[in-house]
Amino acid sequence: MAKPKLALYWAAACGGCDVAVLDTNEKILEIAAFGDIVFWPIALDFKYHHVRAMEDKSIDLCLFNGAIRSTEQEEIAKLLRAKSKVLVAFGACACFGGIPGLANFTTREEILQRVYKEAPSNSNPEGTLPQVKTKVPEGELDLPDLFESVQTLEQVVPVEYFIPGCPPPSDLIVKVVDLYVTGKMPPVGSIVASDKTCCDECDRVKEEKKVARFYRPHEITTDPKKCLLEQGIICCGPATRGGCGMRCIKANMPCRGCFGPPAGVADQGAKMLSAIASIYQGDTPEAVNKMLDEVVDPAGTFYRFGLPDSMLKRKKVAKVQGK
Amino acid sequence: MAKISIDPITRLEGHGKIEIFLNDEGEVANTYLQIPELRGFEKFCEGRPVEELPRIVPRICGV
Repeated sequence: MAKPKLALYWAAACGGCDVAVLDTNEKILEIAAFGDIVFWPIALDFKYHHVRAMEDKSIDLCLFNGAIRSTEQEEIAKLLRAKSKVLVAFGACACFGGIPGLANFTTREEILQRVYKEAPSNSNPEGTLPQVKTKVPEGELDLPDLFESVQTLEQVVPVEYFIPGCPPPSDLIVKVVDLYVTGKMPPVGSIVASDKTCCDECDRVKEEKKVARFYRPHEITTDPKKCLLEQGIICCGPATRGGCGMRCIKANMPCRGCFGPPAGVADQGAKMLSAIASIYQGDTPEAVNKMLDEVVDPAGTFYRFGLPDSMLKRKKVAKVQGK
Repeated sequence: MAKISIDPITRLEGHGKIEIFLNDEGEVANTYLQIPELRGFEKFCEGRPVEELPRIVPRICGV
């Protein structure tokens, strides 16, 4: 019987998810023995034309990381969807938009202007911007076009499973591979992580959730055994799905939500806003204004990994061409 | 002109494609490397608290 065919791809990504797969260490040998990897740009030399030549649904499992923000990324997402039996949104970017999703706080135009013209280290006297088509003496060159907005994988194609995290922890990847190999995958549509919140799974001492003020990390020294939120450090644990092993908390850094919203929560940022508001002491207008001053960049903190996935989706733009 | 496309380039971090134009003799007339991706860290890091940057910018490259 032919070995299952596996594919991994990266869209608007950083390579961290691919490295997380490689960080399964000797498990990668089991994966390679179990299946044939037919497409994986970080590790193997297969090209897009190889994928186009495959029969539909001939790839058994495709792990797709990275968000969708260009015509090429959308095209390859659709291509891999057609060629794959099971398509997994792998990592925070594919699941929720991820860090690249922060681009939805700005616009395509502002990004192009900053990157190619305004950035202090630029030398671009003619103000050249990338073009979809460029004529050169020998012929023509093509580039994909950038969309106005960043989207999640599911906003572009149907997805069977979601593995969250930035990146997904290597032990979670091993667990998912074992589930797949033994035919014990959870129901289609599942987010393969914990059903509890990161806060529930955190082993720090929790006393009473009542905060008199919020601090930025340089303003206080925290007790490494106590809940960060109770000490006045904004931690997104209450609004984040668990299953990461509290890896940030163990490094004495507050959670920033890379596992996405918890089960049953539609909007991670709104959940976090509600958590913050409910623990802050004082309900006078003065107290509210004081709290607003103390919470720095709430939108960018509460929607750090999930702006495209949220109800907000993006900052308003006056005119939007395309997406 | 005949053209060979290497798309995508592989076994490195990042996206790229190489177009090789061949003249009538089949020799390389010119080669172009293109980077078909842009996420915009240079812009969307603006407005983020400075203490958060060490947690945002490592996502430029996870390798």
